[in-house]
Amino acid sequence: MAGVARATPAAGASDEAALIRHLPLEGQGFWLSILVLATGASALFYGFLLQVLYGHAVTGQGSHGAIWGIIVANIVNFIGVSHVGIAISAVVRLLRLKKYQQLARLAEFITLAAITTAVMNIAMDVGRPERFIINTLWYGRHYAPFVWSCTVITTYVVGSSVYLYLAMRRDLWLCEAKVPSRRWLYRMMALGYRDTPASRARHNRVVWWLAVVILPIMVSVHSVYGYIFGLQAGRPGWYNPFQAPYFVLGAIVSGFATVIVALAVLRQAFHWEEFFPIAIFKGLGIFLGFVTLLYMYFLFSEYLTGTYASPEAERVVFRDVLFGRFAVITWSAMLGGMLFPFALLFVQGVNRRIVSIPLTVTAALFINIGLWTIRTVVVVPTFYHPLLPWEVAPYVPALAEWCIVIGSFFFFALLLLVLVKVFPVLEFPEVHEGDEEVHGGRMPFWKMLSVGGSAVAGVTLIATGIAYRTQPEFYHPPVIWLSGIVMLLSVPFQICVLPERPLRRFVRTQLAAAPRLVVSGRARAASYLVAAPRVVKAPAMRLPAPGVNAR
Amino acid sequence: MSATPSRRRFLGAVGKAASFFGLASAPLVAAEGNASSRKHRWGMVIDLDRCTGCQACAVACRAENNVPVAGPTNTEKGRSIFWMNLLTTSEGAYPGLRQQFIPTPCNHCEDPPCVKACPVGATTQSEEGITQQIPERCIGCRLCEVACPYTRRYFNWSEAEWPDSLREQLNPDVAVRPHGVIEKCLFCHHRIRAAKDRVRAEGRALTDADVRRLPACAQSCPAEAIVFGDLNDPESEVSREAESPRAFRLLEDTGTHPKVFYLREAKWQE
Repeated sequence: MAGVARATPAAGASDEAALIRHLPLEGQGFWLSILVLATGASALFYGFLLQVLYGHAVTGQGSHGAIWGIIVANIVNFIGVSHVGIAISAVVRLLRLKKYQQLARLAEFITLAAITTAVMNIAMDVGRPERFIINTLWYGRHYAPFVWSCTVITTYVVGSSVYLYLAMRRDLWLCEAKVPSRRWLYRMMALGYRDTPASRARHNRVVWWLAVVILPIMVSVHSVYGYIFGLQAGRPGWYNPFQAPYFVLGAIVSGFATVIVALAVLRQAFHWEEFFPIAIFKGLGIFLGFVTLLYMYFLFSEYLTGTYASPEAERVVFRDVLFGRFAVITWSAMLGGMLFPFALLFVQGVNRRIVSIPLTVTAALFINIGLWTIRTVVVVPTFYHPLLPWEVAPYVPALAEWCIVIGSFFFFALLLLVLVKVFPVLEFPEVHEGDEEVHGGRMPFWKMLSVGGSAVAGVTLIATGIAYRTQPEFYHPPVIWLSGIVMLLSVPFQICVLPERPLRRFVRTQLAAAPRLVVSGRARAASYLVAAPRVVKAPAMRLPAPGVNAR
Repeated sequence: MSATPSRRRFLGAVGKAASFFGLASAPLVAAEGNASSRKHRWGMVIDLDRCTGCQACAVACRAENNVPVAGPTNTEKGRSIFWMNLLTTSEGAYPGLRQQFIPTPCNHCEDPPCVKACPVGATTQSEEGITQQIPERCIGCRLCEVACPYTRRYFNWSEAEWPDSLREQLNPDVAVRPHGVIEKCLFCHHRIRAAKDRVRAEGRALTDADVRRLPACAQSCPAEAIVFGDLNDPESEVSREAESPRAFRLLEDTGTHPKVFYLREAKWQE
């Protein structure tokens, strides 16, 4: 590694050891939790297996019944949770909230784990999981909200991965030296990072701009989920211009609640008290209480409109939600899952003496359960009241659905644990004042060409995809515009990762550093070909001498 | 704004270039067409004053289109499939009770919400106004089923099954759908094709008499309550009856403009 190591942070060594204390895969608690979570997550695949073997008839859904059920509510929940990670991280970065800085990466990991779980849930809910992604990309129609959702989720996943990676790259590089057992992994992932002031400044600037770009994308992801429901004119109870902001707010509420729960568990498990002082929970609790209050206000507004003077079809649905067969579910979710935790958070927020993690976590848990329940009450009741007076079979979620829903939570936790155990979650302190003023000078021409070319190609591809949107059978526009988006999002990645050296020197050093390949020596190629069996047997890379890794 | 000659020349060149690059797409664009230029625009009129509620249409439809048998459990859970079904409504109370049977095929809306909702183009509107379904492409997301205000689309909740006795009578003209996809009424579109082939072989054009009783439901109706035909042909029976003061359509305020018309003396209360 030819990095310039002079800028290693000068903070205390013990402090830095604490930052990566969570990485080693050891301890009974860790293996036990892996076992428990993996067992729980297997329920997800069991439910899916039941559906594959016996069709969706194993669920409680039906055409003259609930066409969508609790799995859809679960998708909405996890898409919502996925939101907040990047939101927290971006807001921390944009507003420079130093107090919450260590929370940022954990929140980003929650994003990745939750969006993976959500997409798996979508795949398990559709009737033909084997062709749902391929067909949506290949035949996608620009006017279908599902295609919008596919577009924004892809943008969000790619964008947040780039964001997460660039924000973490320096820490990966630092870990390369600090965690010898995983040197290969971090070395590979650091992609030749060099810790110079110019490089740090470039990363910080790029990540800041990415945060600016990602915030609106994040709002769009959940708005699109609102549109999937809100644009259905044939569905009383859904058809509502209010749906998009309502879903975004719900996402913020459930996402924050999840972050609080996850943070409390990990803080306890890894003894992170020094990085996450108790005051953080108070701050998060106040914010969660505020958005919960806002959500209750939204709910009130929706229910008032639905029951007061609306069309009969709407009124029937909302009466059913509030006073009919869903009344018990709705009111317990609203009182137990919103009002009660809000009261807890309010008491903690206004009283300077009360700062309690158990209290905050209890409130967050109740809010999570309450909001999940509210989502089922958004999805299901409309199916009981179709516009034509069909007989409707009552909906009772079946074993397969409960397996998928409960398994999703375990799967999410397992994924989060794996991410936390593999990557450095806590940021290494950066004690470089004045980095902001450093400029790396002009990019070499080839890099400018690559970056600019990708930007132009990305915009062109997006424009081409949109221009050909009316001929999906021939041009497959979603593929075009999604490759454009990926291309465009590779621009920040390239700016940070491509080296600032003239191309010829770069290639030469890369070739020199690469393991000797057959093609690199033309004269020797023939002899290798003759001795092909020997080449196959030969070790690919020379093993380091014993004791090199230890220091 | 008037275009100068040079500008016109420039625009012409651009047009030529565009047509060169867009050559392959030309047939697709031409196929779109608008409502008035269509040759046929299939529609149906159902006379509720004639309907006796015998359900022959529903039975004939099942047999014609290979609609699977659901069995008691799935039927109880609302999972049985009906391309044609009888919607039964009751008005008033005994002894003044009045029941109304409404045969409901797909409405083949002019502005179908299901087509807008389908992400993969598995459901589209044909040139002749039929809302069609491609089971091989459908991903089973059920968005169209959710979007249909009439609940006239059905998901295959399990693999299609028939008792052995019914297997004998499966219709070779209609493909059987796999599980996990949506299916729906297609206005017996295979019969329309067959009729077109027949009249072409006979060297004449399709007339109203050829199609009046074409779909299985219309053919089987003993009261002759169901009439099928071309709404673009002003002389056809459906066109004339659709103009009748007795005519109405289901859920007209949803703006879907169905092509299935109902006839009834008194207005039907939805």
